[in-house]
Amino acid sequence: MSPVMRLRLAIALCLALGPRYTSAQGEAPVSPPVARYDLLLRGGRVLDPRSGRDGRYDVAVHDGRIARIARRIDPATARRVASVRGLLVTAGLVDIHTHVFAGSGTGRFADGTSSVNPDQHCPMQGVTTVVDAGTSGWRNFEALHRQVMEPSRTRVLAFLNIAGAGMSGKPAEEDSADMGWPAARAMLAAHADRIVGIKVGHYTRPGEWPLQVAREMADSARLPVFVECHLPEIPLARQLAFLRPGDIMTHCFEQVSEREPFVLPDGSLRAEVLEARSRGVLFDLGHGGAGFWFDQAIPAIRAGFLPSTLGTDMHRNSLQASMKSLPSVMSKCLAMGMTLPEVVARATWEPARAIRRPDIGHLAEGAPADIAVFRIERGHFGYVDAGGRRIVGRRRLSAEMTLRDGRVTWDLQGRSADPWGR
Amino acid sequence: MTPNRHILAAAFALALAGAQAQPYDLLLKGGHLIDPANGRDGRFDVAVRRDTIALVAPDIPAAQAARVVDLKGRYLAPGLIDMHVHVFHGNHPDAYIADGYTSVPPDGFTFRSGVTTVVDAGSSGWRNFPQFKKQTIDRSKTRVLAFLNIAGTGMASRFEEQNLDDMNPQQAAYMVTRLHPDILVGIKSAHFWGGFEQVDRAVTAGRLADVPVIVDFGEHQPPNSIRSLFFDHLRPGDIFTHTYSYGPKNRETVVDEDLRVKPFVLEAQRRGIVFDVGHGGGAFSFRQAKPAMEQGFWPDVISTDLHTESMNAGMKDLNNVMSKFLNMGMPLKDVVARVTSYPARVIRRRALGQLAVGAVADICVFEVQEGAFGFLDVRGFRMDGSRRIQNLLTVRAGRIVWDLHGMAAADWRSELK
Repeated sequence: MSPVMRLRLAIALCLALGPRYTSAQGEAPVSPPVARYDLLLRGGRVLDPRSGRDGRYDVAVHDGRIARIARRIDPATARRVASVRGLLVTAGLVDIHTHVFAGSGTGRFADGTSSVNPDQHCPMQGVTTVVDAGTSGWRNFEALHRQVMEPSRTRVLAFLNIAGAGMSGKPAEEDSADMGWPAARAMLAAHADRIVGIKVGHYTRPGEWPLQVAREMADSARLPVFVECHLPEIPLARQLAFLRPGDIMTHCFEQVSEREPFVLPDGSLRAEVLEARSRGVLFDLGHGGAGFWFDQAIPAIRAGFLPSTLGTDMHRNSLQASMKSLPSVMSKCLAMGMTLPEVVARATWEPARAIRRPDIGHLAEGAPADIAVFRIERGHFGYVDAGGRRIVGRRRLSAEMTLRDGRVTWDLQGRSADPWGR
Repeated sequence: MTPNRHILAAAFALALAGAQAQPYDLLLKGGHLIDPANGRDGRFDVAVRRDTIALVAPDIPAAQAARVVDLKGRYLAPGLIDMHVHVFHGNHPDAYIADGYTSVPPDGFTFRSGVTTVVDAGSSGWRNFPQFKKQTIDRSKTRVLAFLNIAGTGMASRFEEQNLDDMNPQQAAYMVTRLHPDILVGIKSAHFWGGFEQVDRAVTAGRLADVPVIVDFGEHQPPNSIRSLFFDHLRPGDIFTHTYSYGPKNRETVVDEDLRVKPFVLEAQRRGIVFDVGHGGGAFSFRQAKPAMEQGFWPDVISTDLHTESMNAGMKDLNNVMSKFLNMGMPLKDVVARVTSYPARVIRRRALGQLAVGAVADICVFEVQEGAFGFLDVRGFRMDGSRRIQNLLTVRAGRIVWDLHGMAAADWRSELK
């Protein structure tokens, strides 16, 4: 472009744009005619364990991201303002242990009726990200992708099961000849944005083959191993011996015949468990239908052994039993003596770190606007474990609002809505 | 009761007691068992009674078996399955593989490398399979299964293999499903010089018979698209053989000229296309295999493509091909899975390639030798390696059919005592 042409273009641009962006006759600039933010959450208690921020802040959301966090943001700068005064504002919750491969297969998890649809359950829990815990393997991961991941507003990630067809029931899910196929490695590479680890569990035959295969697959892809239980032939110490720093074992407060409990009758923790924790193995709560027992959890927490993450093991049955929801599990942990920052960290930033997704699970300017707003109710609330025993807590978290990538996906009381009649 | 009867009864009781004391005919003791289908990779003893696996346990007392073989320091595995061979041996002067000299009689080449099951890869078609069965299959101790060639006369010569008029999916499917379902495991498509017509007929037969198709997709000049083969013509579970072949003039390669695995190849594997080595005399080059292994593109099945043109060249035998992958970084248990449980699954013969109690007693015993070894590819290039798999002992249906060092035999002096 010649200098002359460039000048002509500049003049043309000034003529076209000038009146809109400069004030007439050199007066001071007028305030912007359009709001800078899509939504302002005003007056809440922001609790963000990653940054350590805990206090009264306004949070502005724009274009799907957190645009600003400050003590006070002018409401006139936002097109929509939601007052969250007196409420708790956290990052959208990350549930690291769920079964969401919903489909029509009766009585099974993979593509079956034992799994649940994430969008039907997550927004009302303040959950914006779920990790499917190995409901699919390489033979049906792409069905999970097509049926659940793509159409869901909830962010759905997954641990890939080493069993080819995932949790499709016995005997297929414990067919060691169907484990470790090259296709599974190819699946890891092709879906690195969705697959965050390798799941092993539900194998009742003798031998350590599934753990060996999981270890090799995880190492080849530099992903963590996620160990569910139901490995009755492999002693706990052997299972732990396979795990490296950053690997995850779930159902940490389980008390069932097929796996040695973490807590001994005298209330102390097994030496091999403490040793594994000290070298960086992570322990997920994995509540589920049978995975959580006060007999285990209360002594462990008293001894300082807190779960690394608060996965719910959400599925068709646990939802209706003692688990209920992630806020319910968090509230149960409060009732057992954990602090609010400890509980929030284990449902946001800690699971995000565990799945090596530092882009989510926190509230920072520029991060995706996945946000949850909770009411902390005060009173007497009962919490139950898998054994049907109850404890009473004085606080209960309930989700008031949920934002996913800046979109309001749950708004219990219409805080982001315009008043009627205006 | 006469004294004679007393003696008979006593002898019978003794014999019964003896049988109870030694319930097993053969005990393979002290070895390291790799049995992928049953999730075993460790120290296990294996006891055989008649032709069947009677017990697999960490420690079976030696006194319980009539014959005990000490396998300390050795590996044992299910008898190997070589999923790609040519064993329609014959002497027809105009034929090359079907009833010809290029095929080999199986027993002379299988047991010595631990193979107890071979799958003939389309040497015969529906017209000459009956001859193949009478001539080879029924006379072999090796279990011979087969892919039926979509060409009516199988691999009689290159000319018959081009004749679309004699590629009849209905006839082929009928033979698989009705006449010989115990032997025929799938359909073969190979050596076709045209477009996709032949493979499409093979897949039609595969659909009719509900069996996999195995495709040798060379000899097209210029090459046909393997992307189209994988995504437009084959089904998940169908098999692409000669995976690491390098002959870009007539066969599209899986690794490009910059030594990168083509991304769609990984996608095809993810979608369930099965990749078979099929080493052969012209279909395995390190310039394909080594980059592929390094980039995570591993074969699903390791096989030889055994015939007279491959057995004395770079291929040699199944142990040699397995050793190549061992030296390219594949763990031993993964190598074993690719010659036992994986091919058994691919050909839908899940009872084979595994050693559960009740399974047929097809077993191989091998050692992994350490040293300086060289491995040839078909283009005459060498890869150095440090480990070599050497088969020592082979059991087929409970009988010892190969014993390299006489491990199972008594010392010669014992008969003089």
